[in-house]
Amino acid sequence: MLTAVKNQMRVCLLSIKYNMMREMVNKVTFLTNVGFMVLNNASFLAQWVILFRLRGDVGGYTFREIMLLWGLVAASFGLSHILFARVFSLSDLIIGGKLDAYLVQPKNVLASVLTSATDVSAIGDLLYGIVLGLICSPGVGCFFLFLLFTVTGAVVFTAFALLLGSLSFWFVRMDLLQSQMVMGIVSFGTYPDGIFKGVSRFLLYVIIPVGMAVWYPVHVMTVFDAGMLLTVLGYACTLAAVSVIVFYRGLRRYASGNLMEARL
Amino acid sequence: MPWRKYMVIYRSVLLENLQYAANIVVGFFSYAVFIYTFIMLWGYMYQTPGELIAGYTKEQMIWYVMMTEMIWFGSSASSVAREVSTDIRGGNIAYLMNKPYHYTLYVLAKYTGGWSIRLPMYAMLAVVIGTALVGPLPRFPLAAVPAMALCVVLGLTINAVLKMCISLFSFWIEDATPFQWLYDKLLLIVGTMFPVEIFPKAIQPLFKLTPIYTVCYGPAKLIVDFSPEKCVEILAVQAVYLLAGCGLMFLIYGKGVKKLYVNGG
Amino acid sequence: MQAIRVENLSKTFRVKRKEKGMRGSVRAIFHPQTEEIQAVNGVSFSVEEGEMLAFIGPNGAGKSTTIKMLTGILYPDGGRVEVLGVDPTKRRRQLAYQIGTVFGQKEQLWTHLTPYDNFRFFGAVYDLTERETEARIEELSERFALREFIDIPVRNLSLGQRIRCEMVAALIHKPKVLFLDEPTIGLDLVVKENVRELIRQMNREEHTTIFLTSHDVGDIEKLCTRIIIVNDGQIVLDDSVEHLKSHYPNEHAPDTAVHGREHEAAAESGDISDVSLEDIIVEIYKSQGET
Repeated sequence: MLTAVKNQMRVCLLSIKYNMMREMVNKVTFLTNVGFMVLNNASFLAQWVILFRLRGDVGGYTFREIMLLWGLVAASFGLSHILFARVFSLSDLIIGGKLDAYLVQPKNVLASVLTSATDVSAIGDLLYGIVLGLICSPGVGCFFLFLLFTVTGAVVFTAFALLLGSLSFWFVRMDLLQSQMVMGIVSFGTYPDGIFKGVSRFLLYVIIPVGMAVWYPVHVMTVFDAGMLLTVLGYACTLAAVSVIVFYRGLRRYASGNLMEARL
Repeated sequence: MPWRKYMVIYRSVLLENLQYAANIVVGFFSYAVFIYTFIMLWGYMYQTPGELIAGYTKEQMIWYVMMTEMIWFGSSASSVAREVSTDIRGGNIAYLMNKPYHYTLYVLAKYTGGWSIRLPMYAMLAVVIGTALVGPLPRFPLAAVPAMALCVVLGLTINAVLKMCISLFSFWIEDATPFQWLYDKLLLIVGTMFPVEIFPKAIQPLFKLTPIYTVCYGPAKLIVDFSPEKCVEILAVQAVYLLAGCGLMFLIYGKGVKKLYVNGG
Repeated sequence: MQAIRVENLSKTFRVKRKEKGMRGSVRAIFHPQTEEIQAVNGVSFSVEEGEMLAFIGPNGAGKSTTIKMLTGILYPDGGRVEVLGVDPTKRRRQLAYQIGTVFGQKEQLWTHLTPYDNFRFFGAVYDLTERETEARIEELSERFALREFIDIPVRNLSLGQRIRCEMVAALIHKPKVLFLDEPTIGLDLVVKENVRELIRQMNREEHTTIFLTSHDVGDIEKLCTRIIIVNDGQIVLDDSVEHLKSHYPNEHAPDTAVHGREHEAAAESGDISDVSLEDIIVEIYKSQGET
């Protein structure tokens, strides 16, 4: 059992390493991609400098907290897109019947699929996020929390995308829904929760998991709250488990061939 | 059955458009998310009713963003940049430049065909969202709508011309994307999110010289706060920009083509 | 020993049926009509260890579906499958260690890496230790003559060199059965011949069972000893290539040839005909279409 896990890890790490090597073949393109993503993220600083000139707080957040929020979204998004970029285009694999190649390998299908691609510009996101977290964390403890939440955030990003992408086993055009909802985490997550009220706020905690990926963690980093911390951890684990179950249920449908209409 | 072929044509066009419709719905969703967030944001920033920020009421501020984003989403000028870069770098340009039309105008015509459908749809969406969630603009001069529309159309044409100029540099440099990106960022961060008046007084005149003034600020400002003098001023600046931009475009293209003839593809 | 045993294998797909025209499209949303397609219908055969079998048929005959069921990608609806004594449906991963697959059009190599790095990756996929992988790469690169380009990124290799690398990647774990789905599609004549030689060599030296689908009669003629023709999900012919070539032109009835395997001895006595294998196969396909 243990060797099986070790072998699986070896394959996944090799896969990620080779993906990276592919992207680094052209050094200039690689550095430009990463560099521009850092600049892209940094350009949004201007927006917040202006907003904080108008008012001392935005949605109850200080400037430093907004930067923590931004850093966390960028870092989680980056981490998930570096390691598991393929999950964000899972629908294409399912509809195109491209899972066959993974099914004939003696390895875990999901793990092989997830690690089979990478997104270079995401390195820029991760770097920018971590640097922002480092600068804006008031203490070492807070920074460690930031790193922990980067991981849970990446889990939420990946699991959410996996869940929606797996719906392609049953429904058509899920690729659109998937990309829109995942980008929804970014669009809403880069703003403080204090500006949202009522129903929309509720939806952002329940339907699109912005609350658990971003807002709760920022609260915990600002004022430590063990209950909230455990909620975030529990949520990430649960979402991951549910998404994996849904994927494998879908895979059974794939193996039963009833998706064939798309491929015949 | 002679009518059969028309059915086939009709069906394939319809199917293609259904695909297109799905993409439009996706765009609508992004637009709605963006605008909704801004409504919430400005709802928080304005603490008392009737308050003015940088001379704008809350309604004007939100409508301003809705209009600039409508222009941004509805025109989708990045398609021009993408097409020109691919044509030049992929070598396709060699076939296109000998056709009996001017390549740059051909690309602009395609672009115009694209936004003529998309922009009105975004305009309707904006009006629906705006009236439902923000409230109509007070004292909106309906009679001035044609002038506003002209201003918007000129603005997005200038934008496409300028993006085309940047892309045409692909004749000389490996990849013009970074410059394209810088230009887009300038428009997005400075031009679409906030009206120029919100920035420090010292740098405001600077912004008025950049394309921001003609592409986003001008048309949007005119819609949220119309005055005939401003309209004339903006249209005049747009005319200058359009003429200069087209001149530049023809110049760069001519030089690029000459370079291609001399050096080969 | 038998490498593959298939008994009464069946697979039905449910396909959404849409009536023609706009009204049909609208109706399909509210009352989706489904239609059952019997892709594989009661197929039985077995393959001996070390045998080279051509599994052919017209497009849509059920070839790919059968291969997918043999490799565990698809689950059968009825019947039994055993590959190397393993049920692919229940123990897909266990089976995967012992079989190799080359799907003609789908490249499995990472093109930016060298063949050497690729092989090390597949070594890891099949749980070989570093030492085993190295030894196997050494052995195969000798045999497939990969030495001179083993350190050049795959994208810079010629098509023929790439195919050789694809084959090595599929053979890295010494599979006992090799499934080849149109392995020579799109290759020029020289490269085709090269690939066939390699397949023959693997069969000879490692006693690998070869299960081949192809539309290229050359592949079948030059590689396989036995041929199974499927159509409409059913086996219409199961015979040795020799026997088919010598007897079919005289019999003219494909149905009587199904039991042909027992007649191998009789094949020797048949007339040597100048009708090519291609003509015979086309004839069989056509006669199927008429019934």
